[in-house]
Amino acid sequence: MSRPAAIVFDQASVAYGRVPALEQVHGTVHQGEIVALVGPNGAGKSTLIKALLGLVPVASGSISVLGRPPALARRQVAYVPQADTLDPDFPVSVAQVVLMGRYRRIGWLRPPGRVDRDAAADALAAVGLAHRAADRFGILSGGQRQRVLLARAIAAQPAALLLDEPFNGVDAVSQEALLATIRTLAAGGAAVVVSTHDLGLAQLTCDGICLLNRHQFGFGPPGEVLTPDLLRAAYGGAALELGDRGLIVTRS
Amino acid sequence: MTLFSSLGDGYVRRALLEVVIVGVLCGAVGVHVVLRRLSFLTMALTHATFPGVVIATMLGLGLVLGAGLFGVLLVAVVAALTGPRGAEHGRETSSVTAVVLSGGFALGMALMSTQEGFSRDLTAFLVGSVLTVQPSDLVVSAVTTAVVLGVLAALRRELHLAAFDPDAFATAGYPARRLDLVLLLALEATVVTSLPAVGTIMAVALIVGPAATARLWCSRTATMTAMAIVVGVAAGVIGLTVSEQWNVAAGGAIVLSVAAFFVASLVLRSLPWSEPVAAAVARRKSAGRPTYSG
Repeated sequence: MSRPAAIVFDQASVAYGRVPALEQVHGTVHQGEIVALVGPNGAGKSTLIKALLGLVPVASGSISVLGRPPALARRQVAYVPQADTLDPDFPVSVAQVVLMGRYRRIGWLRPPGRVDRDAAADALAAVGLAHRAADRFGILSGGQRQRVLLARAIAAQPAALLLDEPFNGVDAVSQEALLATIRTLAAGGAAVVVSTHDLGLAQLTCDGICLLNRHQFGFGPPGEVLTPDLLRAAYGGAALELGDRGLIVTRS
Repeated sequence: MTLFSSLGDGYVRRALLEVVIVGVLCGAVGVHVVLRRLSFLTMALTHATFPGVVIATMLGLGLVLGAGLFGVLLVAVVAALTGPRGAEHGRETSSVTAVVLSGGFALGMALMSTQEGFSRDLTAFLVGSVLTVQPSDLVVSAVTTAVVLGVLAALRRELHLAAFDPDAFATAGYPARRLDLVLLLALEATVVTSLPAVGTIMAVALIVGPAATARLWCSRTATMTAMAIVVGVAAGVIGLTVSEQWNVAAGGAIVLSVAAFFVASLVLRSLPWSEPVAAAVARRKSAGRPTYSG
């Protein structure tokens, strides 16, 4: 791949205190690439995203984001949390949520300018929700709220985008809108890392897969990583054999 | 009404001015307390400030000065133990808060019991005595209100984001702990300022009540703040009116007014026809221009 590297994991291990959460992650996410973090519950997908945000320290090895340690790259990185972690009763409009993506650029004590309002409006249009700008954030459906949070991330015009389980409990329309927007952003040069339970989706839409369960089982193109052998190794008892047709993975 | 006929008295005029100022301050600060779910922490701050008030009285310091200094110390301790968002270091925030609350209160009681006129002063500290507010108290209240409102207005976007999505706030590279500390100091300043008027116990009601009431009705933080301020001021004025009319304790009457606003709102909002009305209001708002305002 000739494109420059955006995120580089070099034998990285992440620990909470002395308890190792994730070990031996090794691989590269290039600019314009979409890489999925897949693995069973508790595999360390969210932990790895936190490490990319500099919220969890790297215990050994290293993680570099846009050529810098994760904590120093935050301003160029946008993070999309799961929509259902946010209070749906919070008194905030959809437009205000999207504009929040611009706050770091606007800076302290200054009002948002024309450029910021336009960037927010464009981002909301990109996820197909321009007509809901004046609504309260909490009255939208789960999938729409997820799209609004993606719009907030886009408004920040990040060089790297991190998404934590964006497709959980999301309807088909919203899933399609999310995917289209993520692809557009990657086509514009952003590096995208997305954690997901959905192996089929990961296989169809991502350039690379990082297969995790406490440590890395594979990092590379979907065809090389999403193989029965590696999946069986990573998912253990949650992998159900389907004879020589392959295997399916349960969500437990 | 008795209130208006007694407005000729200086102490009633001062009391009225004080409840208006404190109503504005508590309403505005309360919005952040309610949005960040800090009601219980606020309760603890009000109670733990109590020994500061007692110590200030014993040493002959000004009440507000003494309580203020003690409050800053307290904020430092609370911030070190928990941070307003708490539990970052594995401590369960509500337990820490509960111990601080009862410990501070007990210390105040113990100190106070060594003094003469124990029970009379205690009542004044617990429920306040707005009718004895001095001109100097008014100046302190007005200055504190101006400073706190200024800080809240200047940092409104950052405070809004930090309350709505603390993770996004931290991951955007903002100094989250420092902003928490600023909010905690603003809150403690509010507690100390409202003490002469409503006392330690009542302060929490004036801070949390109007904002909690406004939250039931509003879908924007700006309107919620405006409504919280209106409710805070209205409760103060109504309470004072009731107090003058029927000779009830002013602090109690004010807090009962707050409670009445809140309970009435709760009942109205839970009525079956309430939701369609709210939805209709929301629709009418939606028809307007979307505002990308911070």
